[in-house]
Amino acid sequence: MRIHTLLVVFCLIASVFQVQAAPPPPPPSLYTSDPGIELWNEIRQRNGEVRGVTQVKSTDADILINVSGENWRQYRMQQLIPIAGAAILIVLLTILVFRLLRGNIKLSEGRSGLKILRFTTNQRLAHWSTATLFVILGLTGLTLLLGRKFLIPVFGAEGFSNIAVVAKFLHDYLGPLFVFALTWLFVLFVRDNMPSPKLDLQWLLSGGGLFGKHAHSDRYNAGEKAWFWLAAIGGLAVIVSGLVLDFPIFGQTRATMEFYHFVHSVSAVVLIVVSFGHIYMGTAALEATFEVMQTGYCDANWAKDHHDLWYEKVKDSAQPEEQVQSVAKAGMAQRGSTDTA
Amino acid sequence: MARMKFYCDAERCIECNACVTACKNEHDIPWGVNRRRVVTIKDGEQGERSLSVACMHCSDAPCAAVCPVDCFYTTGDGIVLHDKDICIGCGYCFYACPFGAPQFPEEAAFSSRGKMDKCTFCAGGPEDDNSSEEYKKYGRNRLSEGKLPLCAEMCSTHALLAGDADVLSDIYRKRVINRGASAFEWGVNFDKAKL
Repeated sequence: MRIHTLLVVFCLIASVFQVQAAPPPPPPSLYTSDPGIELWNEIRQRNGEVRGVTQVKSTDADILINVSGENWRQYRMQQLIPIAGAAILIVLLTILVFRLLRGNIKLSEGRSGLKILRFTTNQRLAHWSTATLFVILGLTGLTLLLGRKFLIPVFGAEGFSNIAVVAKFLHDYLGPLFVFALTWLFVLFVRDNMPSPKLDLQWLLSGGGLFGKHAHSDRYNAGEKAWFWLAAIGGLAVIVSGLVLDFPIFGQTRATMEFYHFVHSVSAVVLIVVSFGHIYMGTAALEATFEVMQTGYCDANWAKDHHDLWYEKVKDSAQPEEQVQSVAKAGMAQRGSTDTA
Repeated sequence: MARMKFYCDAERCIECNACVTACKNEHDIPWGVNRRRVVTIKDGEQGERSLSVACMHCSDAPCAAVCPVDCFYTTGDGIVLHDKDICIGCGYCFYACPFGAPQFPEEAAFSSRGKMDKCTFCAGGPEDDNSSEEYKKYGRNRLSEGKLPLCAEMCSTHALLAGDADVLSDIYRKRVINRGASAFEWGVNFDKAKL
């Protein structure tokens, strides 16, 4: 009797579960995705680029919403301008601190009165052409980048506009010349700037003589080589991106221009910041240095201090200062003998 | 004070391009510059929709933010205008703008673009209202005469609306209520539509 009752209860429970396990199919869902949402997803380019159809014939006219613009705005306003400004300030302050610590670094044995040819006229011409263009392009570029923040408060919007027009004009028309200047410089200087790993590493580990002791160096030390290669590679990036930006006649899209602006600005700011170090080292930091790129000749003791291994190779070509000057005055170009220097 | 806005109703726009033509004619805009354009998405497919787009006079305008010479200003009516005497034609506003509104009369070598031109909401520029100087640079100043932008004023289907943001949103809200929630699925119910 008891077992019977249990069996009946079990069957009832089982049947209930069976009913629950196989419910009738649900009615069709009322939910359908809103085509309005789909339209706006397309317009907002949420699932990749969507180009429509338009009667207007101009760059990107068939795109309703330019999604890359906001990223570019954030990059330019929140990253590029503050970081570039800070980097320039930090480097200038570092140079100032270095100046206060080390002062003007004198030749250890004073001037010898003997001159050694270090740069040919062709090399100096290439250097100063590149340098002049670099300074003009750098200043005009920085004017357009930072002028709104620092120059409009001084000159007013209309005054600054006149400056900016000139800056843009110089930047756009002189920029392509930089291609030729930098190529010229690269060809003339690349041979002696090829890395020599052991020597360069030694020089870098000793801090490059920044903190006193001079490290061994051939014609160019590792620091000069690093600047050369940075200028070559960074310069290539600046040139390629600059040409894309300067000639918007091939139907470049906004995304293309934004990308190349990113490349152009990053490489240019890096070059500008590092160039401060190069300019300081080449002018006021070390005694008897500026005259080397100015006249092409260096003092024998300068060579001994800064490029001892190179000095050992070329010390026999040293000639008295008066002789060099008289040769220069006589206008006799030393073209034939320059290549050995 | 009003907060001026454009709104284009995708359910109503029929891609007639009359707004584009009216704008060009009203402001005597040079060849190659289009302050307004109509873009059709899914042309020829199911769900095809057209929208007329110009400067949307953003509250936080990206063009004004990136301009290196700060030539943009926002009027009391929330209209974003610019000063062509200050513009240097760098093209940055065009890169940053979400709507492709800034236009340039030329696109030549050495980054020569000329002064930027864009929709003024028919409100001219910084020059004296309705002066010939203003007309030459920015076109007609209809707002100073109490008129709304011509593109919207002559839109035959009333797809393009221009005016105070509160008024526009009221109009659009009523339209949506009349059509039902999923307007794009079922289309406009013209029996119920009152506007």
